[in-house]
Amino acid sequence: MAMNPEPQVFVFLSELLGRKIVDSEGRPVGKILDVTGNLAEMYPPVTEVLVHLAEGGRNVLIPWKRLAETRGAWVADPLKPAEFREPVPRSGELFLKETLLDKQVVDTDGAKIRRVNDLQFLHAHRILHLVHVDVGFHGLLRRVGLERPIGFVFRTLFDYVMSDQLIAWKFVQPVSSPDLLRLNVAQNRLAQLHPADLADIIEELDIHQRSAVFQSLDVETAAETLEETDPKIQVRLIEDLDTANASDIIEEMSLSEAADLIGDLPKERAEGILKEMEKDVAEDVKELLTHPEEKAGGLMTTSFLSFAPERTAEEAMETIRREAEDMDLIYYLYIVDEKEHLLGVLSLRELLVAPPQAHLSELMDTRIVSVKIEEKKDRIADDFAKYGIMAMPVVDDENRLEGVILFKNLLEVVAPKLGR
Amino acid sequence: MVDLHKGAFRGFWQSLTSRKYLRSLGLFFALIGPGIITSNVDNDAGGITTYSLAGSEHGLTLLWTLIPITVALIIIQEMCARMGVVSGKGLSDLIRERFGARITFYLMIVLFLTNLGNTISEFAGVAASLEIFGVSKYISVPVSAVIVWWLVVKGNYKSVEKVFLFACVFYLSYIISGFMGKPEWGVIGASFLKPTIHLETGWLTMAVGVIGTTIAPWMQFYLQSSVVDKGLKAEDYQYTRMDVILGSVTVNVVAFFIIMLCAVTLFANGVHIKDAKDAALALAPFAGEYCTWLFAIGLLNASLFAASILPISTAYTICEAFGWESSLNCKFLEAPQFYGLYSLMVFLGAGIILLPDMPLITIMFYSQVINGAILPIILIFMLLLINDKRIMGEYVNGPVMNVICWLTVAVLTLLSFTMLAFALFT
Repeated sequence: MAMNPEPQVFVFLSELLGRKIVDSEGRPVGKILDVTGNLAEMYPPVTEVLVHLAEGGRNVLIPWKRLAETRGAWVADPLKPAEFREPVPRSGELFLKETLLDKQVVDTDGAKIRRVNDLQFLHAHRILHLVHVDVGFHGLLRRVGLERPIGFVFRTLFDYVMSDQLIAWKFVQPVSSPDLLRLNVAQNRLAQLHPADLADIIEELDIHQRSAVFQSLDVETAAETLEETDPKIQVRLIEDLDTANASDIIEEMSLSEAADLIGDLPKERAEGILKEMEKDVAEDVKELLTHPEEKAGGLMTTSFLSFAPERTAEEAMETIRREAEDMDLIYYLYIVDEKEHLLGVLSLRELLVAPPQAHLSELMDTRIVSVKIEEKKDRIADDFAKYGIMAMPVVDDENRLEGVILFKNLLEVVAPKLGR
Repeated sequence: MVDLHKGAFRGFWQSLTSRKYLRSLGLFFALIGPGIITSNVDNDAGGITTYSLAGSEHGLTLLWTLIPITVALIIIQEMCARMGVVSGKGLSDLIRERFGARITFYLMIVLFLTNLGNTISEFAGVAASLEIFGVSKYISVPVSAVIVWWLVVKGNYKSVEKVFLFACVFYLSYIISGFMGKPEWGVIGASFLKPTIHLETGWLTMAVGVIGTTIAPWMQFYLQSSVVDKGLKAEDYQYTRMDVILGSVTVNVVAFFIIMLCAVTLFANGVHIKDAKDAALALAPFAGEYCTWLFAIGLLNASLFAASILPISTAYTICEAFGWESSLNCKFLEAPQFYGLYSLMVFLGAGIILLPDMPLITIMFYSQVINGAILPIILIFMLLLINDKRIMGEYVNGPVMNVICWLTVAVLTLLSFTMLAFALFT
């Protein structure tokens, strides 16, 4: 690597705040209150400094490039009062202390909400770049002013040297205001998270941040996230949306989840959303809503594939290719007669290895495991455990296929009781 | 014919359910909880002890103070509930974001110490109440500590909350025992009509003590987080306010009956007591054996209830302020600070009771003193926060409310400093 003419140093925001600025002759100019930067950038450079002037007591913004550190003091050189601006950040820029320090951010690498104890800048070529966010106990102690005494105690008593817990800025998503989320739509860092992690994070945020984060997601991610979210919070998130957006998101959800959610919404709201939704999806949802949630009918989805016995394996494959994207379940094919009586079942694996011209009636397994539509969830859970299958067909009293319960959906019912 | 009946019934049912008040009533019951639970935790071992002493030492003369106390409690709790509903954040969260790391850090240390002191007095209450039934504290305290810890860590918090809500019914035991003391209602009514202030150290200290035990710092944190946890909406705020008012009134009704009972029995007969257990035992000759039992059951319930809530509330508050993982849904290793703080408080609180020769009364007394000292700070923070438009928007205090609030805070601050002065110089 080439020689670096200027030293690179890390500077903490807490070391800057409150520092005095002097002019070239050592006379006090004021002290640093905050700094500004454009947070949408990869490593946001500090552009201006909010200074409380010693003379007159006003707060003004001074360009960062006017400041230089010489012999341990920050010198404004040359000091040009004409360059002082009213304390309003330029468009796209924000006060870093006000928006980040002590606030909550999402660590997209660790999929956690953290509280910012300090900001770390890289000081290179006279520019400060925001590179890390400090979320550790050491950073907290630095802020409190107890870094040295407590560090000393830890070292002497436990031979333990405290280290900073830093998160790279590229993994940090601020959530303290909706503007911050909109600002970064192009590179919304939340998109790096798995929907299940996003759901956990949303549940932990406060009501305003929740909605802001949720509304910053694209429709598909929003739907996947919503599926993983606690039902009570689901309702709140949907209630904060307008009907059109809400129906777009709910359409993307799996059918059984969508039905559960709509069933939890206030009546007028639910009807409004159903009206906005595509007609066939809305019909399916309404159908599912007629069953009580605790029984097989309430757990099942109607978004699966059923075939007539005389169809061939090849035809079935084509159908699957065409429909799979919109289906909740494709791993099992259910074979039914013209009156929807369940005749047999075939797994996707069996279909893949079957000769293309074979009829489904020859391939299917007729030893069907199914549950009645009135069956309670505990019994269904027992059956899942016993037969080790991924989905269970639901039939009425005359063995007509009504829907399918996904193991995943049942898991959400049973899991809270496990491992407690 | 059958169909006709069905139709008529459905019509009737619809007319019932469509009525506004029924919906309101349903909503009220769905949304209550935080206020009532907080208030009832407030009547903890320390509270019952203070009320018993107030009644037995000063008779009916302190009874009237319960009215201004109720008003102050409503004013303060209403602000917390409003902040919780509007901001969706807990109080320590708001304090950290608004006042920075340093203030929050020291505030949390003090809060931890005072809440630890309070937890100790809760376990002392458990020990005292079960000793009345002949159970040694070396059995009752460890068993109750384990039960409390187990219930919260391994149980479902929602069901725990329901148990607590039900446990509030046990406070009725104080009301029943109050009637067993055969009070003369005319005399009691007169004490309210002619409030008197006695300018003597003992009376004033006791007055401040009654206020201090009724309006405690931890309550504000606990109430606000429970309101946030409930996920209440700003539109439903009116129900939360009713919940808070109902809770604040309940707490003082219970206090009324305890003070009154001790006044008409113990004070009237010149019996002197040191703590709540003495009070329970001393009641037997005047109001009967059952009265002692009811008093003891009330004390046990209050102590257990508060011992379950105080440590968990403290752990939540502190973790929230510092951004540590804090959820009962996490495993121990995922949230070490949270479970560490919680377990530390439960087992330290219970453990200290079991140490021989522990100056319990002194510990309780100093925890009350710190309570009193920290309360004004928290109240001032609360007032600054609730008037911050960036946090509260249109829900900031109005001018009238602000005057009332600042006055309340000023009076409470003055009283807290008075108590501090008494504590340190006498």
